[in-house]
Amino acid sequence: MAASFWESTQRRFWIFSKEQLAELREKLEDDEHNLVQMFPLPEWRHLSIYFNQQMNRLGKRLSMRQQAIATAQLYIKRFYTKVEIRRTNPYLVIATALYLACKMEECPQHIRLVVTEARSLWPDLLSVDVSRLGECEFFLISEMNSQLIIHQPYRTLASLQADFSLSQDEVNLSWSVINDHYMTDLPLLYPPHIIALTAILLSLVLRVTPSAGNPGANMAAASAALAHVQAGRGLASGQTTPGGAPDKDKRQEDRVGKVQRFAAFLAESNVDIEAMVDCTQELISFYECHEQYNDKATRDQINRFVKARGLDKA
Amino acid sequence: MSLTNPPSGASAPSGARTQGLKRSVQAAFDDPNDRGIGKGYQTKVRIIDKYKIIGFISSGTYGRVYKAIGRQGQTGEFAIKKFKPDKEGEQIQYTGISQSAVREMALCSELSNPNVIRLVEIILEDKCIFMVFEYAEHDLLQIIHHHTQNPRHHIPPATVKSIMFQLLNGCQYLHANWVLHRDLKPANIMVTSTGQVKIGDLGLARLFHKPLHSLYSGDKVVVTIWYRAPELLLGSRHYTPAIDMWAIGCIFAELLSLRPIFKGEEAKMDSKKTVPFQRNQMQKIVDIMGLPTKERWPYLTSMHEYSALGTLQAPMMAHHHHGGGGHHRNSHAAATAASTSHLEKWYYSTIGAHSSTSAPSSSTSLASLGAEGYKLLAGLLEYDPEKRLTAQQALQHPFFSTGDKVSNNCFEGLKTSYPQRRVSQDDNDIRTSSLPGTKRSGLPDDSLVRPVKRVKEG
Repeated sequence: MAASFWESTQRRFWIFSKEQLAELREKLEDDEHNLVQMFPLPEWRHLSIYFNQQMNRLGKRLSMRQQAIATAQLYIKRFYTKVEIRRTNPYLVIATALYLACKMEECPQHIRLVVTEARSLWPDLLSVDVSRLGECEFFLISEMNSQLIIHQPYRTLASLQADFSLSQDEVNLSWSVINDHYMTDLPLLYPPHIIALTAILLSLVLRVTPSAGNPGANMAAASAALAHVQAGRGLASGQTTPGGAPDKDKRQEDRVGKVQRFAAFLAESNVDIEAMVDCTQELISFYECHEQYNDKATRDQINRFVKARGLDKA
Repeated sequence: MSLTNPPSGASAPSGARTQGLKRSVQAAFDDPNDRGIGKGYQTKVRIIDKYKIIGFISSGTYGRVYKAIGRQGQTGEFAIKKFKPDKEGEQIQYTGISQSAVREMALCSELSNPNVIRLVEIILEDKCIFMVFEYAEHDLLQIIHHHTQNPRHHIPPATVKSIMFQLLNGCQYLHANWVLHRDLKPANIMVTSTGQVKIGDLGLARLFHKPLHSLYSGDKVVVTIWYRAPELLLGSRHYTPAIDMWAIGCIFAELLSLRPIFKGEEAKMDSKKTVPFQRNQMQKIVDIMGLPTKERWPYLTSMHEYSALGTLQAPMMAHHHHGGGGHHRNSHAAATAASTSHLEKWYYSTIGAHSSTSAPSSSTSLASLGAEGYKLLAGLLEYDPEKRLTAQQALQHPFFSTGDKVSNNCFEGLKTSYPQRRVSQDDNDIRTSSLPGTKRSGLPDDSLVRPVKRVKEG
């Protein structure tokens, strides 16, 4: 239900295994063999990065809060598990998802304002009016079976902040990891508390080894920490010392202590560590994949099918 | 979708079908699989393929409600709520779904409790929203009304108890899930033919868990005025689940006396759209509950309309005590009298017992509800929202553990049965009919003539 993730439609209908998700997408592409052949697209995460940027641009113009933008991001992910992207104008879907998310997150925006801002942001790509946005809202809600309440990791983070005595820096870092995870498939794969715990772990580990410039190495440290937890579950924990040799720095020790306390908590808990390991790996892989991201190429490929198929016109 | 209803309008002469024909002609020119790009949203499930409308139940500012049965082997009966589409002239347009409809759709999709009305499905078709619910034969307004008729006779105490328990149970579920109903009133409490109570109409409901904006900013006025909690009347901006509990207290009183306990007249919003102080409604509450004091309700003085309280009259009964004429010589005594609650007196005269010490009466008399009934009522109609009973606390109240066991069928043991919901036949076309009017605004749609709008005679 609304308060309990376990009884929510999110858990019951919108969390998939990786295989299920791959199958869904494969089926969509198979059904649209010709379109897929004609209009190749970059990989999902690159599309997500691009959508994320576009959403943030429109969201900023509408003074939207991150939480509402995140809800819209999940709407789009759900929608595109059921509808082939080349059949849609992604700019219209983005604008509509934001409009709907604003209503659901209780910070409604007038539909006319959303239309005006979307038009001026994408003048060549979207000729949209109130009626077209309203119609797209029907598509969105229908494909999501009216299941619009989204449980987000931000809430878990806020409630755990004090338990793990996280500093403001650590909270901020966890927050941005959560922001980033909306560009991966993770929101369709794992419950929000797993994401939040992974984000906290990463924020702690990243802070322990601030000198290492390579996020991948830090991620590896996080994985190592989790591996320790997994191995030591049920045994006395606290032996986990990720991030290399302890530093003499007092603050550094505090942080290592925090990581240990966090690891001890995980070892005692019933939290699905395997899921956290996988989340960590997905995030590592996402940050690597982010390096390969080519904004122009992605935009061109999207705009090509939008234009060629006349999806920009009403 | 269905074999009985070909999607093309080729064989259909009516006006509605002609429109369908136009649409399908247009669809032929477009790629029907393109989504959300202005080439015509088409529903996957059509309401008339899946349901047979057997009559019209009621209409409100939101739209209309129809009674239906399944065409595809679905068991039971259904109530289909059709939200009014927006019109520009004669043409129905997509204008964006109202926030209250979005809330109701989203919340009902998540909720699942025996005492909350069950959503079966939502169908989006022809620019309209159809919410299909399980059907409930009765509602509390209708049951109360029945008891005022030939001759006026009270609702049996076991029925009152069962209704209250089930109502509180549904409300507890909503609150545990961070949902405020915000519009509890007899017309919104459904009762099935098997005596199950179901909270309905979540059109004003919303989540209250850490909202991005204060709950006040969205809708400035909530809850039909007779059931509106004093903190709302006094302009509170930080309201809580306690507003639903006040409404339940009012409903409890109404089940006992068969008329609204605080039947005020609503002051309408002025041209500047400022929310007026609901003096008349607050006065009705004060007449029975006495004036609130800051001793009993510490936050009282920080209420937006606190100053307006001074302009209210002390309860009538207090006037009697001190005589109508002359100045009060003892202002302290006068203040005490003015703040004295007369609820206990109201309760015992309503249930037909003379005091809490009366001898136990027969179980069919309201008097059998006894002192615990008063305590529960007083706990729900507590001025200070922080001291008011929560749904959880009310469920634990001795009222429910004393006397006969509470049944989960509120009709158990009844010899009479209630009349069925009236269903009219003059408007069975769910696809074409729509009433002129405005969509639901921030204001509650109730009025002093509430029973009239609910039933349209055939």
